[in-house]
Amino acid sequence: MKDPYEVLGVSRTATDSEIKTAYRELVKKYHPDNYSNNPLADLASEKMKEINEAYDAITRARSGQSGYQSGNSQGTYQGAYQSGYQSYGSYRDSNSSGSYAQVRSYINANQLDAAESLLNTAANRDAEWYYLKGSIAYRRGWLDEARQNYQAACAMMPGNYEYQNALRTVQGGYTPYRQSNYQGSGMDTACDICNALLCLNCLCGGGGCR
Amino acid sequence: MFGYVRPRIDRLAAEELDAYRAAYCGLCRALGKEYGFPARFLVNYDMTFLYLLRASVFTPPEPRKCWCPARVCGKKPCIPDPEGYRPVAACTVLLCVEKLRDDVRDKGFFRSLPARLLTLVYRRAWRKACGALPAFAALTRTQLSRLGELEQAQSPSIDAVADTFARIVAGCAADLEDPALRRPMEQLLYQTGRFLYLADALDDLREDCEDDAYNPLRFRFAPKESELEPEILEYLTQLTDASVNLAGAALALLPLCAYGALLENIVYLGLPAVFAAVKAHKFQARAGLPRLMSKRGAPNAERRDT
Repeated sequence: MKDPYEVLGVSRTATDSEIKTAYRELVKKYHPDNYSNNPLADLASEKMKEINEAYDAITRARSGQSGYQSGNSQGTYQGAYQSGYQSYGSYRDSNSSGSYAQVRSYINANQLDAAESLLNTAANRDAEWYYLKGSIAYRRGWLDEARQNYQAACAMMPGNYEYQNALRTVQGGYTPYRQSNYQGSGMDTACDICNALLCLNCLCGGGGCR
Repeated sequence: MFGYVRPRIDRLAAEELDAYRAAYCGLCRALGKEYGFPARFLVNYDMTFLYLLRASVFTPPEPRKCWCPARVCGKKPCIPDPEGYRPVAACTVLLCVEKLRDDVRDKGFFRSLPARLLTLVYRRAWRKACGALPAFAALTRTQLSRLGELEQAQSPSIDAVADTFARIVAGCAADLEDPALRRPMEQLLYQTGRFLYLADALDDLREDCEDDAYNPLRFRFAPKESELEPEILEYLTQLTDASVNLAGAALALLPLCAYGALLENIVYLGLPAVFAAVKAHKFQARAGLPRLMSKRGAPNAERRDT
C-alpha cells in the first residue's frame, strides 16, 4: 500500500484539520459526478478507494495515538462515495428492457462497437435509444453527436433526470472541481466573497458553527 | 503547429512560468540534438504541453542551464530530455511536417512555396522521426488519408473530422505501457486534439469561406457571410468546454510528480482563453493573449520574478 500521507498530498506533521481539508478536496476532485459516463470512471473509482483507505489509515493511526475519535465520520464518506459510483449501474438495470440493459453493460465495459451494433438492431427509436446512442458518442469523445442525441432523448422524455444530467455534461456544464478551483476569466472578486460567505453560512447551518 | 495550447500567464506563479519556459527550451534542445539545428524552429506551445506532461508523469530531471542559440551570451534553464521524452521530439517533427504538407495540398502553388521549401528542409528529420516512431507515423498517415476522404466528401460531421486529428494527437501516448497511465493520457490528448481542430477550424472559417475551401463548420452550420451566428458560437463554446472538462478529468487521474498546477492552468484556463480569443478574431493578431516568449524566441522578455 502507498504511503497514506503521500496519497492525500500532506506532510506527516499536518494537523487533523489540514488532513481533513486535503481529503475533502480530493473527494471533490474525484467525485463520481465528474466521471459520470466517463470512459475513465473505473480509474476514478479506484483512485477514490485509495483516497478513502489512506484517510482511514491516517485517522485510525492518529486516533490510536491521540485518542482522536473520527472513525464514524470517515466511514460515512466512504459509504456515500463508493455507493455513488455503483448507483448508476443499479438505477440503469432497474429501468432497462433486455437489449437496452445489454447495450448499457457493453457501454460500461467500454465495448462501444458492440454496443452500437446491438443498438442499431433495435426497431423502436425511443428516448432510451437516443440516450444510449448519445452515451456511446460521448464515450468516444464525439460530443456534437452526443449532444444531439441527448437533446432528442430529453425532448421525448423531459422529466428524466438521467437524460437531463447527461445533456448538462455535454453542454460543458457544472463540474464541481472545476467550478470551485478554476473560475474562468472575469469573475468578480466581490461575488467570490459573497459566494464564499453564503457557502459558509449554509455549511454552518445558518447559525454559528458547531 | 497551432500554438493554441498555452497557459494563462497572468494566473501562473513565477516558478510555474519558469518551469514552462524551461520545458519549452528543453523541447527546443531535444529537437536540435536529435534532428539537427533547423528542427529547433519546430518548437511550439502545443508540443511543449506534451513535453511537460511527459516530464511530470515520469520523474522529472532537475532543470539545468543549457546553451541557447537565440541568446547572445549566457545559458538558460531548461528541462533536459532523458530517454523517456524522445518520442515528443519525434512527434513534433512528424506533426509539423504533416502540417506543412497539408499547407502544400491546400494552398495554391505560389502561396504554398514556403511550405514546399520547408518540407524539403525537414525531409531528413521527417525520415528519422518515422524511423523512431514507425507506429505513430503509420497512424498519422492513416488518419490523414481518412481526413482527406472526409474533406473530399465535404462531411458535415465535425466529430468525424475532428476525430482524425484527435486520434493522431492521442497517438503520442501510445508508447506508454501501463494502462493506468496510457488511458488518461490518451483521453487528455484526444480531447486536446479535438479542441485544437475545432479552434483551428473556427480560426480559418473566414478565410475558407472566401477561398471556397473545405471547413467542417461551413457544412455543419452553413454560416452567413463567413460569420457564425452568436448562438452557434455559444454552442461551439459549450462543445469545447465539454472537451476541457473531459481533458481535466483525465488530467486529474494522471500520477503527476510535478507541474500539476501548471498543467491545470493550461487545460482549465489556457484553452478557454484561447477559444475566446479565436471567437473574437483576436487570436491570429495575438491580441488579448499575453506573449510567453520574446520575439527572439528566448523566453526572457517578461520575467515576473525580477
